[in-house]
Amino acid sequence: MPNGELVGKAFEIVMSLAIAFSVGAIVLVILGYNPIEVYAILFKYGYGNVKYLMNKSTPLIMTGLAFAIPSIAGVFNIGGESQLYVGAFTALMTAYYTNNPLLALIVGALAGACLGWFIGALRVYRGINEVITAIMVNWVFFYVITYLIAGVFYNPQRPHESIPVPENARIKPIGDLSVIFSIAVIVALAYYYLLYYTDLGYRLRVSGLSPSSARYAGFDPSKAVLTSMLLGGAAAGLGGALLVLGITYNIDDMLSAVYGLGFTGIGIGLLGRNHPIGIIFSALFLSGLIIGGQWVELKTGAPPELADTLMGVIVIALAIPYVYRMIFRKLAEGRQ
Amino acid sequence: MIGDILNIISNTLISMVPLTLAGVGEIITEKSGVVNIGLEGIFILSAFTSTVVTFYTGNPYLGLLVGVIVGVLSGILHGLISVYLKGDQIIAGVGFNSFAYGISLLALVSLWHSHGSSPSVNKIPMIIVGSLSFSPLTIVAFLVGFAAWWWLYKTPGGLRLRACGEDPRAAEAMGVNVYRVRFYATVVGSALTGLGGAYLVVGWIGQFTKFISAGRGFIALANVAFSNWNPLMAIVGGLLFGFFEALSIYIPIKLQEMTGRVFTAEASLFRTIPYLATLVVVAIIMKKVKMPRALGKPYIKE
Repeated sequence: MPNGELVGKAFEIVMSLAIAFSVGAIVLVILGYNPIEVYAILFKYGYGNVKYLMNKSTPLIMTGLAFAIPSIAGVFNIGGESQLYVGAFTALMTAYYTNNPLLALIVGALAGACLGWFIGALRVYRGINEVITAIMVNWVFFYVITYLIAGVFYNPQRPHESIPVPENARIKPIGDLSVIFSIAVIVALAYYYLLYYTDLGYRLRVSGLSPSSARYAGFDPSKAVLTSMLLGGAAAGLGGALLVLGITYNIDDMLSAVYGLGFTGIGIGLLGRNHPIGIIFSALFLSGLIIGGQWVELKTGAPPELADTLMGVIVIALAIPYVYRMIFRKLAEGRQ
Repeated sequence: MIGDILNIISNTLISMVPLTLAGVGEIITEKSGVVNIGLEGIFILSAFTSTVVTFYTGNPYLGLLVGVIVGVLSGILHGLISVYLKGDQIIAGVGFNSFAYGISLLALVSLWHSHGSSPSVNKIPMIIVGSLSFSPLTIVAFLVGFAAWWWLYKTPGGLRLRACGEDPRAAEAMGVNVYRVRFYATVVGSALTGLGGAYLVVGWIGQFTKFISAGRGFIALANVAFSNWNPLMAIVGGLLFGFFEALSIYIPIKLQEMTGRVFTAEASLFRTIPYLATLVVVAIIMKKVKMPRALGKPYIKE
């Protein structure tokens, strides 16, 4: 990436964050909170506990990748949500019945990949917009897995929870090192390598930039759609598996610990500018906002959905790079 | 048996309103070349504001009006971003959905100290004909569908709007102000969606709840594809998807009556019906549809 472009992208991100926090402050004032106090708590507690921050960001790195990889190939994967649910659920089942954490991770990733492929296939073979399909699939799996947890695989001792991940299949931190976070980082690096240093990655990127050039160069853009959805779905599925095996050890019957992680992944992918390394940092940043949001609730009573509001504004602001490019160009011209 | 059928028809007529209104609105928007996937967010935001206004004034018609105004404001925002700032329309819509969800819950907690739902508010009375009951907004939804079809296909204004979505450069050459048409189309579409969102509260449920829109904004988008961008077919689509929603409510109640068993966990399985049905219907129909050629692409004058 040339230097000027990198600075330009950084400028877009900083602008988006500035707009988001300004809008957030206005919202807080209207609702009767002191924005300075709220933001102080948000940042102090959100980024205070590094171990917790790493754990929290693990599934989000994966759902960020689940959005980003298909995006690069020109597909809008809004189904990270359900891909994460099936990953979490199948990993839980595998861990419960086999006590094998590695197998559970693999099964979770495969389940997510299958679901991702299904959404991609409906677009390729039936021409259905992946946004519509993915949302419908998200709701179907939300309710199906809610049923499976509440009605079939519940824990007889604690009926509002699923059967647990057995003790010897849990992934524990080694000293201060979060193992699940390390796995997520390694996967992100692998995706980075795949995208920018392999033939397959090149094909995905070309197909995303211009399907007609891809066709001209002899690649099939439909294949890029399917491959990228497989890779994206696998990431989200693995994210769900890491969450269950490394953090929650079960799934509650309202799915409250898994709900929303896929949607947040969209914001993370966009904020990281769909770059695997950028995604690691944006996941850490947004996790801090989410953790901080929970503390803000404890301390001031402002609900944790503050994080959703801020993320929404960040994403809206990220949608208009044209404007930033114009401002940036004006600024650059002014300096000369 | 007859009673059951009338019950399902009534519920279909009640469920079809937001899906038709938002579907027709989005058809108008998309025919001009702008796609707005923030329908879900508009539903949530206008449902919430109309709850607040109805709660404090006691007047559900005022609530309805405020829902439309919030829809207009959302449309202005999306129109500015998509048309004048040439932003990414899909990303803006995704961001708006998250923003609307977050801010409505922030306001819900700060107003009523509840994370789940608002107090009940006054509703617009239903029209009752024999054993059928439906909302006056059902009639409005039908009328809006017919009017939009007539306007889009039978008037010069409609022709100009469609030209902007098919070939904006040619439209510009014909003297149409593409930016302005697209902007107004987005605002009108969002206003209709706002009406649908307000209806969720003052026409139907009677209170705001956390998941009030429950993906209906996306079902309305599916309705647009189902209708092949024809407002008359969007009425049919609203009835069809509304029927599936009515079934998903009716089946568990009926099963409970028949067996005497309470289906708690299984209830969530029945709730998949409208989403599964949407998927299947769209998968069968979609191959044949033809979307506006310039849909989703910002128009940049040379």
